[in-house]
Amino acid sequence: MLKRTYEEINAKIEKGDAVVMTAEEAIQLVESQGIEKATKEVDVVTTGTFGAMCSSGAFINFGHAEPPIRMSKVWLNDVPAYTGLAAVDAYIGATEEREGDGHEYGGAHVIESLIAGEAVHLRATGRGTDCYPRRDIDTYISLKSVNQAYMYNPRNAYQNYGVATNSSEKALFTYMGKLLPHYGNATYSSAGQLSPLLKDPQMRTIGMGTRIFLGGGIGYVAWEGTQFKTNIPYRNGVPSSSGRTLAVIGDLRGMSTEFIRALDFHGYGLSMAVGIGIPIPILDQDMMTCAARTDEEIFAPVLDYSIQSRNRKPMMEVSYAQLRSGTVELFGKKVKTSSLSSYYKAKVIAERLKKMINEKQFTLTRPAVAMPTDRSQKVLEVCSKEEVL
Amino acid sequence: MSKRKFNLYFIPELVNEPITYILVKDFDLKFNILRAEVKEKGGQLLIEVDGKPAQITKGVAYLQGMGVKVEELNEFVTKDEERCTNCGMCVSICPADAIEMDRQNWKVIFHLDKCIACGLCVSSCPPKAMKLKA
Repeated sequence: MLKRTYEEINAKIEKGDAVVMTAEEAIQLVESQGIEKATKEVDVVTTGTFGAMCSSGAFINFGHAEPPIRMSKVWLNDVPAYTGLAAVDAYIGATEEREGDGHEYGGAHVIESLIAGEAVHLRATGRGTDCYPRRDIDTYISLKSVNQAYMYNPRNAYQNYGVATNSSEKALFTYMGKLLPHYGNATYSSAGQLSPLLKDPQMRTIGMGTRIFLGGGIGYVAWEGTQFKTNIPYRNGVPSSSGRTLAVIGDLRGMSTEFIRALDFHGYGLSMAVGIGIPIPILDQDMMTCAARTDEEIFAPVLDYSIQSRNRKPMMEVSYAQLRSGTVELFGKKVKTSSLSSYYKAKVIAERLKKMINEKQFTLTRPAVAMPTDRSQKVLEVCSKEEVL
Repeated sequence: MSKRKFNLYFIPELVNEPITYILVKDFDLKFNILRAEVKEKGGQLLIEVDGKPAQITKGVAYLQGMGVKVEELNEFVTKDEERCTNCGMCVSICPADAIEMDRQNWKVIFHLDKCIACGLCVSSCPPKAMKLKA
């Protein structure tokens, strides 16, 4: 059986000899040449995803004013940023809404503006202390003017996700988009056969410290993502419902609005589309088998979003091939499907990452620490002090 | 023969006038009602008219003479290609099948000729790429 190491792959990248393929290309190669030959031939398979990732935001250090201020309230383009940190540090959350005028503009838009190179209006107040006498400031910042500006997203790149539909009488406005009454449509949100964590389902090669494509630049896996769980159903060796997630980090400088986009879900709120690509090193035949799984082999559960409970049970499972065909059959009815994540952008990202590796701008990293192998997701009960211990 | 789409706005006093009948009888126009609404401030009718170009012009002049506000709909909804991420959220929302996913390149195609100007894609588009023409 063929075995490959990170060192061997990186040496080939440095020499310009590495064979890099997108997951789509790897699928075709395995179909035409067989798994053994494909494993021998390919060093790296690139993946990509571009979808709504609400749990996103950015840390910014503004630098000190003269005289200095310890900012206790901060607004960026009138969007409140979190400031329970040091004097001139703040975290702007993607879903935070602008004060005053409704819900159409928020943190995600501020981040998109910064990445676009635009000026952002900063207002801050403080209570005035001996070291920080100033009580307010009204100015502008940009990516050029601030010290650090880095994205830190606690939960991105979900490993699979449920398909949303609606059995009720009225339309629902959800984070899965508008769901028409009487199973009028079904929406899904994974790049399926291109999606990073579905191509390394046990996360053998993706761990803390893994270098990734993030928002157009280079980022890193920082930690397990929030709601990371491993006690999930599998089909064909691939999670068939939502499982693992990633916390990711990366410099806003170097990112592009092509891969970071503010989103507004009518009736739900704001979110941010984040583009992530992860290279999968083909260390052995098992890695290639996983990396070459097709949309026909990857399944997602269908959930009725009119049941407003965390306990809603999947109605059925459908494959991404069915979802991507444009319609799925639910209870004998042909239901039109919509994707919330962009397969087009996922393809662009996998191609872009391949190009970066081929041009020696990107080498592979062995994870500093592997992700947990035994995690379940807890729920929040209303209970007493004693019960929680 | 040519096909054009018009949004007609009626003041309340005109709601009972048989103007569509006149369009057929006097101007020999075929039309398809795509959307109709009656509200407190009057009515709105979205029609697709099929007929000789000269007859359409005369029909429109008749309507305007009657006090109907006529607005031609060549670009009621526009798609901002730069803003669009090609996710496809609008595809299952569009009741007129005017939006389709191209399964060759996974880009969203907007067929303006099929659009009935309902505006459902505008509110359902997460990156706000579908816009009502101002």
